[in-house]
Amino acid sequence: MATVQERVVAVTARVLQLDPSEIKPEYTFTVDLGAESVQSVELVAMFEEEFGIEMDEDAALAVTNVGDAVAFITKVCQEQGVEV
Amino acid sequence: MSEKYDSHSLVDATEPNFLEETFDYGLPPLIRFDGPLVEYIDGQPVEFDPATLAGRDIVITDTTFRDGQQARPPYTVEQMVHIYDLLAKLGGPRGVIRQTEFFLYTKNDRATLDRCRELGHAFPECTGWIRAVKGDFRLVKEARLKESGMLTSCSDYHIFQKLKFKSRQECMDSYCEVVDAAFEAGVRPRCHLEDVTRADIEGFVLPFVERLMRMSEQVPDELKAKIRLCDTMGFGVSFPGVELPRSIPKLIYKLNREVGVPGDRLEWHGHNDFHKVHTNGATAWLYGCDAVNTTLFGFGERTGNPPLEGAVIEYIALKGELCGLQTQVITEIADYMRSIGLPVPDNYPLVGKAFNTTRAGIHAGGLRQDERIYNIFDTTKLLGRPPRVALTDKSGSDGVALWVNEFFGLKGDQRISVIKCHKVARWVNDQYEKEGRMTAISDEELETQVRELMPQYWEKYKG
Repeated sequence: MATVQERVVAVTARVLQLDPSEIKPEYTFTVDLGAESVQSVELVAMFEEEFGIEMDEDAALAVTNVGDAVAFITKVCQEQGVEV
Repeated sequence: MSEKYDSHSLVDATEPNFLEETFDYGLPPLIRFDGPLVEYIDGQPVEFDPATLAGRDIVITDTTFRDGQQARPPYTVEQMVHIYDLLAKLGGPRGVIRQTEFFLYTKNDRATLDRCRELGHAFPECTGWIRAVKGDFRLVKEARLKESGMLTSCSDYHIFQKLKFKSRQECMDSYCEVVDAAFEAGVRPRCHLEDVTRADIEGFVLPFVERLMRMSEQVPDELKAKIRLCDTMGFGVSFPGVELPRSIPKLIYKLNREVGVPGDRLEWHGHNDFHKVHTNGATAWLYGCDAVNTTLFGFGERTGNPPLEGAVIEYIALKGELCGLQTQVITEIADYMRSIGLPVPDNYPLVGKAFNTTRAGIHAGGLRQDERIYNIFDTTKLLGRPPRVALTDKSGSDGVALWVNEFFGLKGDQRISVIKCHKVARWVNDQYEKEGRMTAISDEELETQVRELMPQYWEKYKG
């Protein structure tokens, strides 16, 4: 089963139309990966769909880089009893 | 040498102070004073106490059917009767909208007046408007009106160039003859001092009004002459320190305290040629003139008059309470006026279709968090108009979410998150990024997209 990081990278690559190899944990979604406003919202929506979770929108949209997104999603999955 | 400034220390806070004594969201923002207004008149400081406003019976009068009709094709009788009915509703039981005036010259004018009075409203009281011609009082009397305006133009532009009097004396005598005729007819004359802000105040206006006050001493209270100050060309200025004849504070002071025209017999009638019309009207209230004459949406000769709906909001802001005004009727009147072809610009304050619509995504984000951030007051409560967003390329996902929640009528915890609106946000974004669209997106288009892209919510809230 793919790790949380692999799944986050795959979703990010799909939404931002990038090659997964271009995505590093320390990269920010907006500056480094070029996510525009609507894409940031789409990323959160796609993460919810991928992991079957509900995230607080303000907290989710405040996450800036890939590594932090992995940590945030892992925490939400634990809180909501979703196995990852 | 550097200037010295007082030091101002930060007053730190962890809880916001929304200054709600002024910005009570349920009312228009209040206009609060922290001292008297001071105007230098004839070299001496004179104080005007705005605190007296609370106790004064200041009122709004209306000239939608007279000056308002000089700017547009005539209303039908039915339309005028309906508008009159709505004015009565808006003005409330205390009669804040105290009077409205009618032409009396045609059969239609007189029929309209009769139909309006048949409605039985105490306010606005119907008054007339005639030329300064003795014979015209017959019309007023036949119409059983208690009061009528009459033209008493007072600048030399009018006295000599328009009316062709040989002297000011001849002019004054002529006007006073007509005022006498009014008294004899049992009609209160309301003398419209046309072009007063371009007149010789000391040389003509004050002597004329003084004579009117002397004449009024001989008649019962209900007949005593009223004075309407007509800023015919919009030359009036509200700032302190301005010279006569343009100074509104000085003009009102001279008439009120030097000639003895009581505030309840003084009325201000402005025009908007220099974008000063609304503030000038409110200034008249502040300095001792009890009535401000207005028209719906400011429609009037040339650039128009003080907008009635603006005066209603200013009235509440100065009084600090609604005073019985039914402010939601403002929206009802605007809808009606639009339905009969009156053009109201979308961005027109208080009634334009987009007056509380934001297009900027960052503002929409603010509205989503707390509508007070970008809404002037509780427009839902006072005008029946919730704040809105119009979607363009600048609206962002926050704007889309705000539109969707408003569309479904969701508030507080019920609101759908920005995240759940992402497909509609994508569609909006692509309209501009991919389709090269240059126009705003209509409500109908968005409704179609919401139905298609958010079917679960459509089913839940519209199904």
